[in-house]
Amino acid sequence: MRLGRHEVVLEPRPAPPAGYAVLTAAVAILAALALASALFLSADASPAAAYRAIFSYAFLNPHGLAATVQRSIYLLFCTYAFLVPFRAGLWNIGLPGQVYAGGLAAFAVPLLVWREPTGAPSPALVIGLMVAAAAVAGATTGGIAGILRARFQVNEILVTMMLNSILFWVVAYMVKEGGPFMGATAEGESFTLPAPLRPPLWWGVPFTAVVALGAAALLDLLFARAALGYRIRAFGASPAAARYGGISPAAISLLVFLIGGALAGVAGYHTFAAIPGVHKIPGNYGYYGDLGFYGMISALIARGSALGAIPIAVLFGGLSLGARFAQGALRLPFGVDYALLGLLMMTFIGSHVLHAFRVVWRRRGTAVADAAPTGAPGT
Amino acid sequence: MEPVLAARGITKRFPGVLALDHVDLEVAGGEIHAVLGQNGAGKTTLMNVLFGLVQPDEGVLYLHGRPVEVRSPHDALARGIGMVHQTRRLVAAHTVLENVVLGHPRVRGVLNLRDARLEVSALCRRYGVALDLGARVWQLSEGERQWVEILKALYRGARVLILDEPTSVLTPPEAAALLAGLRAMVRGEGVTVLLVTHKLPTVMAACDRVTVLRAGRVVARLRTAEATEDLLVRHMVGRDVAPGPPGRSGAPGRRVLEVEDLACLGDRGLAALRGVTFALREGEILGVAGVTGNGQEELAHVLAGLRPATAGRILLDGRDITHLPPRARWTLGVGYIPAERVEVASIGAFSLVDNTALTYHFDPAFVRRGLLDDAGLAALTRRIMDGFDVKAPHPYARARQLSGGNLQKMILGRVLSRAPRVLVAHLPTQGLDVEATAFVRARLRDAAAGGAAVVLISEDLDEILALGDWVAPIYEGRFVARLARAQADAETVGAMMAGLRREEAAAG
Repeated sequence: MRLGRHEVVLEPRPAPPAGYAVLTAAVAILAALALASALFLSADASPAAAYRAIFSYAFLNPHGLAATVQRSIYLLFCTYAFLVPFRAGLWNIGLPGQVYAGGLAAFAVPLLVWREPTGAPSPALVIGLMVAAAAVAGATTGGIAGILRARFQVNEILVTMMLNSILFWVVAYMVKEGGPFMGATAEGESFTLPAPLRPPLWWGVPFTAVVALGAAALLDLLFARAALGYRIRAFGASPAAARYGGISPAAISLLVFLIGGALAGVAGYHTFAAIPGVHKIPGNYGYYGDLGFYGMISALIARGSALGAIPIAVLFGGLSLGARFAQGALRLPFGVDYALLGLLMMTFIGSHVLHAFRVVWRRRGTAVADAAPTGAPGT
Repeated sequence: MEPVLAARGITKRFPGVLALDHVDLEVAGGEIHAVLGQNGAGKTTLMNVLFGLVQPDEGVLYLHGRPVEVRSPHDALARGIGMVHQTRRLVAAHTVLENVVLGHPRVRGVLNLRDARLEVSALCRRYGVALDLGARVWQLSEGERQWVEILKALYRGARVLILDEPTSVLTPPEAAALLAGLRAMVRGEGVTVLLVTHKLPTVMAACDRVTVLRAGRVVARLRTAEATEDLLVRHMVGRDVAPGPPGRSGAPGRRVLEVEDLACLGDRGLAALRGVTFALREGEILGVAGVTGNGQEELAHVLAGLRPATAGRILLDGRDITHLPPRARWTLGVGYIPAERVEVASIGAFSLVDNTALTYHFDPAFVRRGLLDDAGLAALTRRIMDGFDVKAPHPYARARQLSGGNLQKMILGRVLSRAPRVLVAHLPTQGLDVEATAFVRARLRDAAAGGAAVVLISEDLDEILALGDWVAPIYEGRFVARLARAQADAETVGAMMAGLRREEAAAG
């Protein structure tokens, strides 16, 4: 950009200092909050009051905090479901579909094996089966995209998106339109999980939290040290070079979608079967599916780091709940929560520019002007 | 004579590098002026300064004696300076005419192809360019595509043409034709040509004067009539380069590689390799000589396992490997150096250590319990860097930070570190400077002396004749002949590369 004799340019930053990533993320969050203030002001609400409501509900209120933790676990599974194919250069846009598949499979297990009066087989076994079924169903759904990519080079973005639609309507049939999962009251929801099959809680948190944290540590180890992780990264960075190095593109494409799909399937188990007070596939299951897309954003912002995605998922989880609460409490207009998350997304993406480039302000054409008098040609 | 284009005291710094250090350049009207230098000497930066792609930190450009500021390629074209880049920037599916007029400032909105055709064909007649304006670019040879680029610059009104390595992808006859055409344009129409190259024959054959760059400085300004190739090499390199020892890479041993009637398809699904048969013993180098697109890439791919064979067999030490995937071939001892060192043989965003892992991630010696042995790979990378004279700050530097020559040495070192039984090297010295080329050739010879069977696929006939024990000219997917080095001379092999059979080649 030129301003008279001066110009402002973006120059690539040769080596961003350590800790700079955290600093730019903090700047992004503050910028988003500042921008959202305008939103609250336009609704005649005090930004301070709005933020107090949002943050105190999301992170201080016991109910809100529990909900934030539950939602963060869900978002983390979705984050990793996107992250694994992403490291291979593939885009898993099928998080909602894989979540639905996982949820349905989890609920199919008690339908098939649980016998109410006797309580057999043992609840722990059934819960284990539910998680496994959710993972397998998610992996299968993801695997469809993976195998089409591997065998026929079909674009995985299109396939996963279409599968989202297909599974959305499969769930609709199952829980609303006469399918076997319908609840007894026919309120457009699935049946409620029998009490013994609701997983135990520690301080309000189910075991899935451990699974999510374990997955984070394992994924970071996989991509930092393991031969398999190396193959995935190499394929993501350069498919041609990976093939040259004896890495099978088909095997990697399929594998990352199986892993990603399985993680999204577990997200489906967690959100429909493990969160206290839910324990069913609710009528507005589409809301949870769409929420899964914030997993994509978390993975992108964390630049592929699984542990690094944790604070981001917690922030998105907390803000989505807190803003929804503030909307009710302060009578803010509908959609304030989406607007806040959207702004945050944009400032995060903007912060990537700030991370990779620096803004330079300098005088234009000084070099040429200085050199001209001394270097006159011999004419 | 008044210089048409002059640069005085041009200095350009990039982070950590002084690319150009007070460079002066004078190009007289109506001459072909060469800018000669090794890779990294600053040739490309200087050209980019002249064409407005890079702004110098110091120094001034003069056009017809007047100082000018060239802030963009648009500026440069408006002042009559045109550039033909080393990589083609043409739309393959469009016609020659459409490519020539594409992007012309007058062609905004309505495109009047009939008027444009008249103008462009007039231009062709005037400059003696023989091109079918209706032909699609993908149908043209590399030499013809080069002319399309030149025509495009002329159509924009360029009177000073900057050509970056114009002969690097051309066959010897195409290169000769290009240079002759340029001479005619310069003589007849007073166009001025600035030719950037590291190829001595090109300079000696076509240029009037030459400016030699080394490490960002001008080290010599000469008339080519008064220069010799040896003198230019000394200026370029800064010292004498000893020629490698002549031919013969040790007594051949056991038969390592047997290829029988091998065929495969190209990317478009057409037959690309149509039955190639040869055998190689330990210590032998087979030089496959040909013009781009006669099945060389497919031959390399099918030997490396990157492309399925549609017919024939490949035997390694008597074992049929025709249908084995790439990883199995690496393990059994087939090493491959692809022509695309940046796109295929390395990963620019990865560290050198991670690049080494490209052919070790499956090797039990470097993988324990599924985890890569990072320390072992780093040590191996250091050994390759030392053994192959790779100039890089440290083993964790990104591959994209390396110059072409250093990258190729790194790749060569990595492939040879697996001690392959068979080494397939495709265009191993393309685009490398004199020193790196000599280094790579010596190492290929060493590999053969160490017992490898080497398939050297090259377009550089001198290279083939210098290294090969056997010479196989390839044309349209077949070996025209398989000659012992003693029977192969440049004329015969050159004729065979153009598709002439043995008898015809001998008669011609």
